[in-house]
Amino acid sequence: MSAHTTSMRDALYEAPGPRTRRLTAILTIVSLVLVCIGLALVVRQFYVTGQLDAKYWAFFAQWSTWAYLLEGFLGTLVVAVTAAGISLVLGVVLMLGRTSPIMPISVVSRVIIDFFRGVPSLLLIYFFFLGLPTIGLYLPPFWMITIPVSLAASGVLAEVFRAGVNAVPKGQTEAALSIGLTPGKTMFKIVLPQALRIVIPSLISQLVVVVKDTTVAYVVSYPDLMQNGRVLITTHDSVVSVYLVTAIIYILVNFAINQLSIAMARRSGNPIISRTTENPT
Amino acid sequence: MGIAEILQKYGQNYAMAIFETLSMTLLCFVIAMGISIVVTVMRVSPIKPLRLVGDLYVQIFRNIPGVALLVLVAYALPNIRIVLPWKTCVEVTVVLLASAFGSENFMTGINAIGVGQIEAARSIGLTFTKTMQKIVIPQALRSAVLPMTNLLIATMLTTALGSQVPLNPQELTGLVSYITTDSTGLGILPFMISAVCYAGFSFLLGLLGNHIDKKVRVLR
Amino acid sequence: MSTQTPVIELRHVDKHYGDLHVLRDINLSVHKGEVLVLIGPSGSGKSTLCRTINRLETIDSGEILIEGEPLPQEGKALAQMRAEIGMVFQSFNLFAHKTILQNVTLGPIEVLGMSKAEAEARAMELLRRVGVDAQAAKVPAQLSGGQQQRVAIARSLAMQPKAMLFDEPTSALDPEMINEVLEVMVELAREGMTMVVVTHEMNFARRVSNRVVFMADGQIVEEGTPTEFFDHPKTARAKDFLDSIRGH
Repeated sequence: MSAHTTSMRDALYEAPGPRTRRLTAILTIVSLVLVCIGLALVVRQFYVTGQLDAKYWAFFAQWSTWAYLLEGFLGTLVVAVTAAGISLVLGVVLMLGRTSPIMPISVVSRVIIDFFRGVPSLLLIYFFFLGLPTIGLYLPPFWMITIPVSLAASGVLAEVFRAGVNAVPKGQTEAALSIGLTPGKTMFKIVLPQALRIVIPSLISQLVVVVKDTTVAYVVSYPDLMQNGRVLITTHDSVVSVYLVTAIIYILVNFAINQLSIAMARRSGNPIISRTTENPT
Repeated sequence: MGIAEILQKYGQNYAMAIFETLSMTLLCFVIAMGISIVVTVMRVSPIKPLRLVGDLYVQIFRNIPGVALLVLVAYALPNIRIVLPWKTCVEVTVVLLASAFGSENFMTGINAIGVGQIEAARSIGLTFTKTMQKIVIPQALRSAVLPMTNLLIATMLTTALGSQVPLNPQELTGLVSYITTDSTGLGILPFMISAVCYAGFSFLLGLLGNHIDKKVRVLR
Repeated sequence: MSTQTPVIELRHVDKHYGDLHVLRDINLSVHKGEVLVLIGPSGSGKSTLCRTINRLETIDSGEILIEGEPLPQEGKALAQMRAEIGMVFQSFNLFAHKTILQNVTLGPIEVLGMSKAEAEARAMELLRRVGVDAQAAKVPAQLSGGQQQRVAIARSLAMQPKAMLFDEPTSALDPEMINEVLEVMVELAREGMTMVVVTHEMNFARRVSNRVVFMADGQIVEEGTPTEFFDHPKTARAKDFLDSIRGH
């Protein structure tokens, strides 16, 4: 009925009067000109440094270039999906530990969760790449990247799951216990399935973090999108174009995942849990 | 070699690395806050091109992986004649990433305010500027405390990107890979020292954030 | 009484939300000391009408005059006019980050330029009047709905308004809290405050108002004194409406 459905950023302003409208129009034109000048300067810089030359971009017209990037993207996908799967399981386990009534288990789980959330994933990757070999443990490159990425994500997921479990109405547990289910059965048959549904949008948005973390795969020479991009750079001697294209692919993929998570959140009415903010790496 | 020997040999390096990590974190966070305020103002302004640029900025830098951005800044920019010192490359990368998330936090804070608060401010005769000063900004800042604490922690973790370029002195992650290649047979201890530093600082910052949040939280 | 310039006057006001014609050729004037009650089924446009008076909603055509002057469109003049017209919302809208006392002193200090000490003394006086002075140091979320709404009234009164708008002030309240708010409003009416009240409280309308305006589908269908309207409604729509609310 009234303006309560408009977004907050519009609600900050009232319907403009004639003076405000004029001012807005002038500022719109001025800012548009400034944006265009900015863009022109960027393009000019690319042009004068020869970065717009055909030799830097022509190989993107070849299917083989894209096939190679796609191969790398599939590598990224395999790592990301495997890591997501592992961290899902680990996340549930850690959450169960964290909410356990047995003190030592809950304390240990909490320390593990805080540890994985409080340490850079790059350090975890170096641990598996450089640290473990010093004590004689050699993993294949795939696992050297997938395990640390999973561990980093599992700490965050444990907290997401915990928020999900807390969001399940208490009456559900009480009802389940009152019909004679054991506490364990109550958790696995009643609470967890509902919690899982609540956190689906949050899980999808965490996938972005996993995808970002996989980009360090070149450290262990695993052929993901980033690593294949680096190979393309050496073969075509073109740093700028290749890095730009790979970056754009990552941005588009993560943007799509984020949009999916927002759409799911909107459809289900379950918010994206952001208390455990993502790590921008 | 035990922990005592490692600290004896590399203690100085660790101290410097801790300083590097923390000072980079602080510097980047402060600059990122400044930029995220500017970007947020652009995003909530009624001027369409500014809104668009602000939204685009956030979408790019919240979705780009840190490494992908760092290689652009460190290795691609010199090709268009923008050459930055290594450390600046890391800082620019961290600032760009953190500011996008900072702006998102501010937007969430603004969205939580509610139209009613603004209508009430208008109807007691506050002008647009006063409404911003007295109602919108204070409420947005208060509800941003916890997300910004998390962002500060995330900023610290992101400075680990410094391990991907030659820094001197190194930060906590780069130092570990240096030590591990410098002397063999140290096992996993060098990692644990760095990890405990990171996790410890994260924990302390988290406590601080919770403490401030409890004091200023807006009850709704 | 109609020889005086009305405090609020609407002339041929029209407003659309997209295809929806929410206000159709509204003509209305409210005189000094008058209590006008707007009633009608939900979606009839009565809240929108109330909100156009201090330009929380804009209009497409027509004129709104405050003491004979056209409603300003923007800027300082608009803010100034709003300071002179109180508004009480359905959802209270107390400033969530400020204490009860600060809620009441903000306007006087920031808009009227009053000193902090004076604003606080007056605010405490007003809070006493509405019976929430004991809660002055709390924040809104710590108060009951009824208490919050009384603070909201005090906040408006602190601006020494020429007139007050009430947009369904009791609709968000639990039944046992409605009366404490209505009592404050009755008291205000008795003191001669010019009031426009959108409400579903028929007893209040009957007891307190000078004039009842019945709206449906964005139009003023019927208006008259409370006795005329409640005992002898002229239009079928008004009869149906009154029957429907008396039904339960």
